[in-house]
Amino acid sequence: MDRDTRVYDDIFQLLPSEENPTPLVRINALAPAAGFDLFAKLEWMNPFGSVKDRAASFLIRSLEAQGKLSGERGMVEPTSGNTGLSLAVMASAKGYPMRAVVPDKVPLTKKALLKMAGAELDVINDNLCPAPGLGEGSIAIAKTHAKAQPDRYAMPNQYENTENTRAHEETTGPEIWRQTGGKITHFFASLGTAGTIVGTGRYLKRKNPDIKVIVVVPDEGHDVPGLRTPAELATTNLFEEDLVDEIVEVEGELAFRTALELIRKEGLLAGPSSGLIFEGARRVLSRDPDAVRGGVGVALFCDDAFKYVDSFIKHVPELAEDTAP
Amino acid sequence: MTDYANTDVLVTTDWVKQHMDDASIKLVEVDVDTKAYDAGHIPGSVGFNWETELQDQVSRDILSKEDFERLIGGAGIAPGDTVVLYGDHNNWFAAYAFWLFKLYGHEDVRMMNGGRQKWLDEDDKPLTVDPTPLTPKAYEAKDADLSLRARVMDVLKIVEAGDHNLVDVRSTDEFTGKVIAPPGMSETAQRGGHIPGAASVPWASAVQSDGTFKSADDLRAIYFDGAGVDAGKPTVAYCRIGERSSHTWFVLKYLLGLENVRNYDGSWTEYGSMVGVPIERGTAHARTAEPATA
Repeated sequence: MDRDTRVYDDIFQLLPSEENPTPLVRINALAPAAGFDLFAKLEWMNPFGSVKDRAASFLIRSLEAQGKLSGERGMVEPTSGNTGLSLAVMASAKGYPMRAVVPDKVPLTKKALLKMAGAELDVINDNLCPAPGLGEGSIAIAKTHAKAQPDRYAMPNQYENTENTRAHEETTGPEIWRQTGGKITHFFASLGTAGTIVGTGRYLKRKNPDIKVIVVVPDEGHDVPGLRTPAELATTNLFEEDLVDEIVEVEGELAFRTALELIRKEGLLAGPSSGLIFEGARRVLSRDPDAVRGGVGVALFCDDAFKYVDSFIKHVPELAEDTAP
Repeated sequence: MTDYANTDVLVTTDWVKQHMDDASIKLVEVDVDTKAYDAGHIPGSVGFNWETELQDQVSRDILSKEDFERLIGGAGIAPGDTVVLYGDHNNWFAAYAFWLFKLYGHEDVRMMNGGRQKWLDEDDKPLTVDPTPLTPKAYEAKDADLSLRARVMDVLKIVEAGDHNLVDVRSTDEFTGKVIAPPGMSETAQRGGHIPGAASVPWASAVQSDGTFKSADDLRAIYFDGAGVDAGKPTVAYCRIGERSSHTWFVLKYLLGLENVRNYDGSWTEYGSMVGVPIERGTAHARTAEPATA
């Protein structure tokens, strides 16, 4: 491995760390407050394409360290998104079977992506009727596989496994601290499993308790893939409210419009979750620009736009106009 | 605090674990997600598929007596056995099976409180993928007890007379007519709304977050005080296709002890498609559980 010439022995050497961080890129044209440096942390530069590589790699490493993975004994995980993709690619490359439990309502392209990565799919009817208070059906089925056939399946369980938060405490947090020379004053992220906000927030607050940790959430009924509102957090038990200074709610629709602004004005190919986080950061920072002058902010951009083109078209219908001769 | 009207119809997960090897205890899993049983089930249980095994495959109807006898006998269950039902989604379809067992006169039927989710969440409760060996038995059912079932003719008379409690257990949006059915459902009706005079009590109001039933006092507060169910009147529960309402039927009849409770299994897909029957929309004339519990 030679990081200077960027020559690696295998794809796993690209996984992020303090010495090999994902890039920070300054926001220029859309800078929300004069004299405040806001940086986007480009998590789509991770080897398997999103912020979820961090949690997924820690989850696999931990299962490996416990001797729970082999050619016969693989993983089962309820996931339709980036964690599943990341787990599936890594599992395939390492020779472990991977079974992804996905709700039927998940779009075909996402199911196909998991299969492209080598996962076996278990598609279930998840949403026949609202059943408040219960865990999602796909979580229950994944747990069932792991409990009924422990010799075949281990369940990483991103929603409960503290390896998820540890990944961010040991990589994302130290990377940001080093990249900003310890000058960071504001950290912006969203909520999915809460791993990012809790792990990174814990590290940064330990370094400097005055750093503001700000969570940006979509409103109820949103359609932003991978994100949860605080009310939807019942599915994870990793969230620690004490670490959070402020929760900013942004209309889910703006995730898509703002992402397009980032693409067109900054050259950042932001996906909807990145758009939402930036929108939240912009609101907080432009509220009282004098109060944040001289500060340094980092907004975590989870993923780029490519997997979400269908969602963009749905929410920004003019994207489909003038596309035929 | 008072207890349920019938305490013997509910068993705990611990009780099931202690008795799962007893020859006269028959565990039956019925899930909304028909793949759940195959993914893992309680050792010794049988799994019934609600779509292909618990309803007539030609007419829109419950299983005939003969088909019920074939299914239950084939599962190695005898009339004198204790049947313990459990399933996903708070025992939703397990309750439908409970109703069928009672309709055909099975004496000792019980429900595992909390269903498969509670069993799954408890570390000491085993699951297996091993098929359960079955020894078919001759099962003779009783004639269907039609006092447990309401037909559309009964419901129309009730609407006219106003002498029953009608409990609509669908979601609020289905009740008000905002949607005809939950998104993605193929069994649907021609019109949205509810049967005139019905109270809206979504079925999951009866359970706690761990899937077990709420206490008798809480249930009384929800159905009697909140929704205005009059314990002195006969009651009919309905939903979209008759399964969710079995769950409420179980609560009202067995946990709260109402004498006369029927499940209208034709439910909204039938009523909401009939020509010329009265329908109400919105909440204006309906008693709902929500204001009282808010």
